[in-house]
Amino acid sequence: MKNESAFHRLAPNAAPFSRREFLWRSGGGLGGIALASLLGEAGFLSAATPAPGGRPEVGSPHHKPRAKRVIQLFMGGAASHLDLFDFKSELVKRDGQKSDFGEHVEAFQDGLGPWMKPVWEFKPYGQCGKMLSEVVADLGAVVDDMAFVHNLVGKTGIHSQATYLQATGFQLPGFPGMGCWASYGLGSMNENLPAFVVLPDHRGFASNGPKNWDSAFLPAQHAGTTIYPGRESPIADLFADKRGGFITPESEMASHVLLRHLNREHAAVREGDARLDSRIRSYELAARMQLAAPEAMDISKEPNSLLDLYGIDRTNKTWPKEINAEEEMDYFGRKCIVARRLVERGVRFVQIWSGNDNGFPRRNWDSHEDVRRDHGPLSRGFARGASALIQDLKQRGLLDDTVILWTTEFGRMPSSQGGKGRDHNPYCFTNWLCGGGVRGGAICGESDEWGYKPRDRTKPSTVYDIHATILRLLGIDHTKLTFRHNGVDRRLTDVHGEVIRGLLA
Amino acid sequence: MRNWLSYGRWRGVCRVRRLWLPVYAATICVMAVIFCAQAAGAETSRSGSTNTNTWWSLQPLRRPAIPAVAMPVANPIDAFIAARLATEGMHPSPEADRRTLIRRLYFDLIGLPPTPEEIEGFIADRDLQAYEKRVDGLLISPRYGERWARHWLDVVHFGETHGYDKDQPRPNAWPYRDYVIRALNEDKPYSRFVQEQVAGDVLFPETSDGLEALGFISAGPWDLIGHAEVPETKMDGQVARHLDRDDMVANTIQTFNSLTIQCAQCHNHKFDPILQEDYYSLQAVFAAVDRADRKYDVDAQVARRRKGLMDQEKQLTTRRNELEARIVARAGQPLVDLDKAIGELEQAAKKGDAAGYHSNIEKKQDAPKWVQVDLGRTLALRTIVLHGCKDDFNGIGEGFGFPVRFKVELSDSADFAGAALVADHTSEDFANPKLKAQSLDAGGRTGRFVRVTATKLALRQDDYIFALAELDAITPEGTNAALGAAVSAPDSIEAPVRWQKVNLTDGWYPGVTVPESAELVARRAKRGALLTAATLEEERKAMATVEHEKAALKGELDRLPARSTAYIGTVHRGSGNFIGTGARDGKPRTIRILNRGSLQNAGNEVQPGTLSCLEGMPARFDLPATHTEGERRAALARWLTDARNPLTWRSIVNRAWQYHFGRGLVETPNDFGHMGTLPTHPELLDWLAVEFRDGGQSLKKLHKLIVTSATYRQSSQGVEAFARVDSDNRWLWRMNRRKLEAEAVRDAVLYIAGKLDMKMGGPSFKDFVVDKPEHSPHYEYQLHDPDDPASHRRSVYRFIVRSQPQPFMTTLDCADPSMQVARRNESVSPLQALALLNNVLILNMSKHFAAKMERFDPSVSGRVRRAYYEATGRPLAPGDEPELIQYSTEFYLPNLCRVLYNLNEFSFVD
Repeated sequence: MKNESAFHRLAPNAAPFSRREFLWRSGGGLGGIALASLLGEAGFLSAATPAPGGRPEVGSPHHKPRAKRVIQLFMGGAASHLDLFDFKSELVKRDGQKSDFGEHVEAFQDGLGPWMKPVWEFKPYGQCGKMLSEVVADLGAVVDDMAFVHNLVGKTGIHSQATYLQATGFQLPGFPGMGCWASYGLGSMNENLPAFVVLPDHRGFASNGPKNWDSAFLPAQHAGTTIYPGRESPIADLFADKRGGFITPESEMASHVLLRHLNREHAAVREGDARLDSRIRSYELAARMQLAAPEAMDISKEPNSLLDLYGIDRTNKTWPKEINAEEEMDYFGRKCIVARRLVERGVRFVQIWSGNDNGFPRRNWDSHEDVRRDHGPLSRGFARGASALIQDLKQRGLLDDTVILWTTEFGRMPSSQGGKGRDHNPYCFTNWLCGGGVRGGAICGESDEWGYKPRDRTKPSTVYDIHATILRLLGIDHTKLTFRHNGVDRRLTDVHGEVIRGLLA
Repeated sequence: MRNWLSYGRWRGVCRVRRLWLPVYAATICVMAVIFCAQAAGAETSRSGSTNTNTWWSLQPLRRPAIPAVAMPVANPIDAFIAARLATEGMHPSPEADRRTLIRRLYFDLIGLPPTPEEIEGFIADRDLQAYEKRVDGLLISPRYGERWARHWLDVVHFGETHGYDKDQPRPNAWPYRDYVIRALNEDKPYSRFVQEQVAGDVLFPETSDGLEALGFISAGPWDLIGHAEVPETKMDGQVARHLDRDDMVANTIQTFNSLTIQCAQCHNHKFDPILQEDYYSLQAVFAAVDRADRKYDVDAQVARRRKGLMDQEKQLTTRRNELEARIVARAGQPLVDLDKAIGELEQAAKKGDAAGYHSNIEKKQDAPKWVQVDLGRTLALRTIVLHGCKDDFNGIGEGFGFPVRFKVELSDSADFAGAALVADHTSEDFANPKLKAQSLDAGGRTGRFVRVTATKLALRQDDYIFALAELDAITPEGTNAALGAAVSAPDSIEAPVRWQKVNLTDGWYPGVTVPESAELVARRAKRGALLTAATLEEERKAMATVEHEKAALKGELDRLPARSTAYIGTVHRGSGNFIGTGARDGKPRTIRILNRGSLQNAGNEVQPGTLSCLEGMPARFDLPATHTEGERRAALARWLTDARNPLTWRSIVNRAWQYHFGRGLVETPNDFGHMGTLPTHPELLDWLAVEFRDGGQSLKKLHKLIVTSATYRQSSQGVEAFARVDSDNRWLWRMNRRKLEAEAVRDAVLYIAGKLDMKMGGPSFKDFVVDKPEHSPHYEYQLHDPDDPASHRRSVYRFIVRSQPQPFMTTLDCADPSMQVARRNESVSPLQALALLNNVLILNMSKHFAAKMERFDPSVSGRVRRAYYEATGRPLAPGDEPELIQYSTEFYLPNLCRVLYNLNEFSFVD
């Protein structure tokens, strides 16, 4: 064959059929396969030859997967590990005493007041006896399924960079979110719904906004699709904008028929261009998504007892102006129950955000001024929803292969700021995981006596380790899920990351 | 039509001789094999610069021989392509028909479709040069610059908000976008284009292009919090600045030289011969600049005039200082003693610093604020006078903190139960009075307490305050009863001497001269006498001349036209945490090698320089010890545009090729290193690079060369036999069918609806509404009115938000301004289908498109035929006509137009 020349061999992407070229143009290498997966054609392509960028073949993961899906709960603004999950008796003992870290501390707003004890009481829960704050007491019911990492360290005390780091593994913009990687790596399990769905805080975005779930260099179909359950159009452009005005159900039907006809005619005389066929098919899938998405978000048929478990208000209450726990429970609970419905229907990755931009009045976790005031309602709200979600998944048998990850930007300081608040602490914070393949009741990594830095400063855990562990649970070797962009084989974990073995069941 | 590029002739061309595979290409192959062997163990063992002289992209440029052909071809491009095809046993496709060609050419060169008349005109044109004439016409169209600037803006990741947290807008970023459009339309020689973007202020001083082009350096994202809320002394501040320079370095080298320099941040590049020191020496080039607004004169003459005047002013100041120093020295110790005494007296009387009352700083403009004065007893008042503050914070100056809406009341009780209203400005904004005293008629109303309540605070930076210098309560007798009275407020920043409550009644406000003590007056007089005695007559005269001339200069400067503002990479003269290097005259920050990229592991200082892997080109700049920061950038600009730098020339011709064909000769346009792909046609790439470099560096000439080639003019139809062996069409046996980019789709949608506004330049249009601008602006696209004509301009003029990208455009694979996009992704997804079906822009334009058709033709069939032609560039097939007419009759024309916008044929160009 002619193309046996060395030059030819070395030039990439020589392929036996044009679909390969299409997939390559879709964003590089096998990334395109996920498109095919979105279009329900993954099997057809699993024989494609490898290209730059590594991605497990559909149906042949790097490891035996322990989980199929992920639900990530992201607390925007930085939730205090000290007041929720990481009990420090030393702080109770020394509350109000001048803080002494034993070294120079660089704090974001110089919030290095006296030691401040946890704002709420802690007590042990479950068989494991894990100490939890009373504001997250609802999680006590499921604490034996949860595993905690208390020695996480960040790289920065700046909200945006820290949010990027936790969401994408990089401190700067331009990198895909973790859900994008999961979608790219594994594709969707339901072609009628996006593989990666994001439920933002309805009051606004956290730092960086949609860039936290943007596909960046990965093909666009891996971007998180934002949905707002309860809104008229929960997904952007799911239905014709009302301002259009000229569309009726009959015209819609006829339009699809006409469009398909003309598109097929056009494609018929342009053989071998897979994009044209895919685009025809994308309109069929769009029509199916119009049915599937609202159904997935409709919680009206959920039993009252379950809605109550999630803390969802059934009386259409009007909420007071001040932040309050009941309202937070309602909002977060609704997102959690929708998350369950989505993963139940095959969505690969769901991300729920708590906390809007770090402004005022605080509807976010950035409690420089008053931990009790802001953290209180937000904590009670997310704890109720998360606890219900875990119980709900469990009773349906879904918890076995669904991982839940709770994370935030960084922690907060053991010293007080202005008496009632806490400054940023990028030197130590907490994550917890639960579900598919996670060892319940485990504690992996501890913080020091103050919760200021990891107890063993030489062996902290990092976001790379968390990401590597999540991918491992999904059956993916984090060093092998790559995508070549501008000359670099990019990974979710950059050049870092070790699976936290202690978290694995 | 003279179809001399027919299939048969092509075959003739190909059969001639197989001159392919000169030594050059063979060498590459051998080396590439060696590299692959090395690369297997590369991860850990290879240090950067082992194979400096072997990698293809680093080879010096030589003009390869054009493969010999027996018959004339359109141009040498075709000879290279045909020769390569022949070695593969393939041949080119026949030329596409004229209808296809014209639509291809229009979208490619100007990003808009041809009108049916333009298509018909071209088809009917019997001129042998019909095609070339269209090419020339499109290249001189201003639409060309708009189309191709967008490609360039992708590569340099231009955006109009900072990105990161709070994602604040950059209202002055657009001059760079206009510069790129202008530079392309003017067809600036490429080296000038490069030099202006890196060091235009130095190499082309006094030109507005040289300044606006520096928007290249500032194009990428910027971490506001890491710069403006965290000082450079903190680690987080240093990290932010390091990342900021990293972006500048990566942007420069990837854009102009197509190498991934940023990979050498932690260690020598693993795959390419790039040293870690090279990387940091490039950081040193940008070590003095930040991203900031800069004022400048658009008119070169004015700029020159201003510079001349300011230089003169500087000289005069120096002259005056010299004179003064001489006189002071002559006055000796007595003057020193006297100055000390005067200083002490002045300090004691420091009233001028007592600015006024200043509330706490608020994030919201409607935070309630008041301040009140206790007159001690109930009095009748004639007027209440408010005086504004003066503070140069954030350039606000006079009227600092004066409330936008407020009211003034009198009451007998401190809690203002039963208050009498003196003035109410709470329902409309009150123009800031600056330092003009505001007299409010109290009409003899009585009260013991006077309260000023602000209901809408004054903007400070991105927050709000209420400040007042003085409140006078004038009695009917004309005395100020408030002088020295007690002041209370729910909050006050209390930062004496400048800001404290008592300042509100201290009798001092801007414009008041504080009476000086007799002692101070006496000593001043004595000082004057002392100096006069020490001054020689000639010095006195010289001083008078200097002062006279300075006054004249100031007058002239004031009469010059106001300056414009552009957001560029520049030495920043800031205050607060974001100081920049302006305070030390732009002296660059010290750059050290960071081991493993960590600021905690800073090593040796590095000198400004660049890549060390190019033969015959010194990597460190030989600059004198006293060099300015600008000389560093100028040195880099010269290095980049040196004829001996092969990367620069290969990079740009490859980019141009890519935008014409959908894929570059090197498929990874930002990476000519080992992780990139090899060129499919290395000789053609080099031939084009040399031709371009030595032939005037004209992009328009290059475009013309490419689009008039037979290669470009081929049909895009598949040939089954070739598709089997080269489905990717790397050997270009046909033209590639192109899917239109987001901008081309949007522009075409508006254009055929008759709504595209061709206004060029200026501030970007916004297709969103900003909510909550004071903290983190929410960019609410869904609140935008799609019928706002201001938003009907070409997409290149769209205001580009980083954190919340435009959803419609993003779904259509628009470039992400947070990263350098050398080649856009091209996806097909259900969300894209939904966007094109349901987005309000499409629906609205469907109505406008339909209305245009209704004006065009009275009959449904005529309208349908015309609409179809406009959307696809070809007449409706007679067989389809009945179906479309029936559909349009039943569901009306807007629905048909919506279907047409969704056709594959609308989004694809053959």
